[in-house]
Amino acid sequence: MEEVGAMTALAVAETKPGRTVIEAIGVSKLFGSSSGPVQALADISFSVGSGEFVTVVGPSGCGKSTLLQILAGLVPASSGTIVLDGQTIDGPRPDKVGVVFQDAWLLPWKTAIENIEFPLALRGVPTAERRARSQALLDLVGLGDSARRYPHELSGGMKQRVAIARGLVQEPSVLLMDEPFAALDEQTRTRMGAELLQIWERSGRTILFITHGLAEAIYLADVVLVMAANPGRIVERIPVTLPRPRTIDMIGSEAFGRLRNHIWHLISDRGPL
Amino acid sequence: MKPARREDWLVLAGRFGIVIVFALAWEVLGRMGKSDPELLPPLSKVLATLWQLLHDPDFMVDLRVTLVEIAAAFAIVAPLGLLIGFVVGENQRLYDVVNPTIQLMMATPKAIFLPIFIIAFGIGFTEKVVFSTMIGLFAVILAGIAAVHSVPQGLVTAARSFGVNRRQLYLQIYLPAMTPLIIGGLRLGLVFTIFGVLLSEMYAASNGVGHAFVAWGESYRMPELMAGVLLIVVITVALDEMMRLAEEHYGKWRKSAR
Repeated sequence: MEEVGAMTALAVAETKPGRTVIEAIGVSKLFGSSSGPVQALADISFSVGSGEFVTVVGPSGCGKSTLLQILAGLVPASSGTIVLDGQTIDGPRPDKVGVVFQDAWLLPWKTAIENIEFPLALRGVPTAERRARSQALLDLVGLGDSARRYPHELSGGMKQRVAIARGLVQEPSVLLMDEPFAALDEQTRTRMGAELLQIWERSGRTILFITHGLAEAIYLADVVLVMAANPGRIVERIPVTLPRPRTIDMIGSEAFGRLRNHIWHLISDRGPL
Repeated sequence: MKPARREDWLVLAGRFGIVIVFALAWEVLGRMGKSDPELLPPLSKVLATLWQLLHDPDFMVDLRVTLVEIAAAFAIVAPLGLLIGFVVGENQRLYDVVNPTIQLMMATPKAIFLPIFIIAFGIGFTEKVVFSTMIGLFAVILAGIAAVHSVPQGLVTAARSFGVNRRQLYLQIYLPAMTPLIIGGLRLGLVFTIFGVLLSEMYAASNGVGHAFVAWGESYRMPELMAGVLLIVVITVALDEMMRLAEEHYGKWRKSAR
């Protein structure tokens, strides 16, 4: 299933070395509907190495959010296996997987820092320890001063930062992100992308990031998985060889443009976005 | 917040202004002989009567009977209404089945059932409590359903992703998310329950404030009647205001929250 792109010039380096943290083997998902079962995902297989930043891009309706929910153990697959950090996933594993959604979904009655602490509180981590860890993460996402503010007092971008900090607080090896910046305005989205890369580099986590933005997918990724719809499947696995650290200027570069065009054709030649 | 301060004071002054103008007009019109003292005794006379009533053992018995009936009915309305509301709200199929019935019962002027309750239970404590329970129950059921439905599915999914178990999900996600709507529903349920108790007392009873109202009305004892009305208004508004403050306190986070 791991087809390597036709653009061999770009697909030079294989991914970073490291053990496999996410492995999807033949994952399929069927949904019942009034007109019979719908194949949302068909035979999805891929693997992600430790510390990699993988983006999944595809048209709406290609099942990329479903894929993420299966990876997170929130929805069971109809067939196939997810192995995470050496363990088969059959339910949420907050110790291994942190999830950030398109809407931040902070608990509105808790302050920013209480929201980050919440997953630890559920596990009975002592107050002092969880407060310290949460404050450190708030600092990491640049919101050290906003610990006592409530979600309704935070902007959309700030809420997503809190959600990212919450996703990281249980020190999972994998962070799954489901179009986390899609609801933000473009400037904020670009800035959040750059900051996410810094957080990723500092935290050393493996990130699987779902988006429908081609530029975002390329800018962030070591590897882009391109999906198509009906049934949802991976049509190409594209390593991104742009140097790190990435800069906003790279988005205008020729190599970037060629990659974007390539993905654009992969998606649009198969039907409307 | 600062610029609104001055206007807040103006609003507050306006609210008290209405009460003061109303009270003054009531008093002055009576003293000037512009209003029929038989029909509308001056406020000072009504207040003096109220003071006497509060020292009248017979009336205090009536008041206690009424308050106990309200407390008993609400002690059923609150837990039963919420329980039914939660169960129906959690179960979509059950909701589809029973929602029309609940809506129908909500819309029906339930006072028409009072004679049936009297026939079924006889005049007395049980009849009044059961009748006012029915009057108050549906508002609380609807609030319970609305409260369950108000919890965003995304919040639940997010909570599952960071590892809540069932108990934590209900106590730490559902409950706080629903609290403002629950208190709002209980507030409405209490007002309806009070209405049910007073109505049943006024229709047929041997004691209670509602019964006293009817007796005073039939013998043209306007000072007592007005004093009683004033007292019930104050008690009801005080109870309602307490619940409104609780609703506001537990719903602070809802301000401009999405």
